Amino acid sequence: MLPVERVIGEEGLSVGPDGLRLAMRLPWYRSLPFSTVEVASLSIDGEAVDLSAANVEYEGESWPLADLGEQTNAFWFVRDSAFLHLPNRSATAGSEHSVALTVNVSPPYIPGMKRANPQTQVLRVA
Amino acid sequence: MATNTGPQVGVTLYSFTNPWLTRKFELDGLLREVAKRGMGPNIEIIGFQSFKEFPDVSDEFAEQFKMLMAETGLNPVSCAINSDRFLRPGQQPIDDASLVEYHKRQLRSAKKMGFKLVRYQFALPVELLPQIAPYAEELDIRMGVEVHAPMWSGHPAVQAYGEMYDKLDTPYLGWIPDFGGTASRIPESMLNAARAVGAKESLLDKLKEVWIEPGMSHEKAGRLREWAIAEGHPPAHIQAASLAFFILANNDPKSWAALVDRTIHIHGKFYGMDADGREEAIDYGTILPLFRDGGFDGTLVSEWEGHAYLPDDGFDQVEAHQSMCRRIFAGG
Repeated sequence: MLPVERVIGEEGLSVGPDGLRLAMRLPWYRSLPFSTVEVASLSIDGEAVDLSAANVEYEGESWPLADLGEQTNAFWFVRDSAFLHLPNRSATAGSEHSVALTVNVSPPYIPGMKRANPQTQVLRVA
Repeated sequence: MATNTGPQVGVTLYSFTNPWLTRKFELDGLLREVAKRGMGPNIEIIGFQSFKEFPDVSDEFAEQFKMLMAETGLNPVSCAINSDRFLRPGQQPIDDASLVEYHKRQLRSAKKMGFKLVRYQFALPVELLPQIAPYAEELDIRMGVEVHAPMWSGHPAVQAYGEMYDKLDTPYLGWIPDFGGTASRIPESMLNAARAVGAKESLLDKLKEVWIEPGMSHEKAGRLREWAIAEGHPPAHIQAASLAFFILANNDPKSWAALVDRTIHIHGKFYGMDADGREEAIDYGTILPLFRDGGFDGTLVSEWEGHAYLPDDGFDQVEAHQSMCRRIFAGG
């Protein structure tokens, strides 16, 4: 996988009292407003995860995933991970899971372009 | 004091997208590496790639950046800015006033950091130029629109900009040729990357055939896709093969002659250097003398885009490309 195609972040999957967190990387060569990014799907161990209660966390801010399209002035710096937060979902620390994430990007200077970026990786829960 | 006569050769940090995205370097480390390898002093940086605070850079960051430039001896020539019109995918573009302000914010940031010019994009509707050009003049920073594949000098958008340039008649507006619009062939390294994901020779043969046909890139991509689906090629192979339509077009390399007079900066787009020290897809030996003999005395920045399909860090590629460009500019 090329660096520009990567969507699962180096910080991987972690668990806390308020749920699971998955690190995401922006699959593009430059920073983009969050409004042009779409978390299209996530499955863990082959099972599709319901994302209706998910949030996206970045630099101390948090947005419901459903409202990500409103974030036209919040830029995701291309070197940073953002985190997909799944409340009410847990996992055992140290256990391993196959995580499949697809993130779509629509670069805002290229009308009509939408690129789907799927990645699957086995992650150990921190 | 002696003044520069003739083209300079530099580099854009975009060439090092791979080590940047993998966090192998921080910005200061990457700039020191560029300086150490003698790839400057003139450099280009994409604002939205390398500066976390873009589009609104703080005074503090700008000061730090200028100190870094002084320490490394690098010269910040070009800052690439973006015309982000489509902030809500599938909906209407942002309004004109917001888009004009979006450009002004980026112009201010680039100026504050000491850049001499900005690279901007055709996504900016040409009729908004009269609102932005006076601001660039006021800031004393030039603007070059990037003529990127599938565009070349004969493209209708380039002609419409040219007419507006004639009307506004200011030295603050110009062209930044990219050369990808005048490739003579598809790079073998790109074809090899498609082979590596499993694309069959029959698909690549068809790609080469369709790629040189006349027509718009997206239409040709559609034509290949239709054929490939009917022939049973899997989507991943078709996607790998179709990359060529979006970053390369095969217009006449000599057509750049029409833009030389107003060229203020050059993106030396390249994909791979062959064993003989030549770019594998773009005929630099034909193109660069047009600019040299036409009096271009700005900077050509080496822009390696093989990272779209290769994991290489880009450093050796850029060194080989810069050697070739210097040789051709020197008349070799």
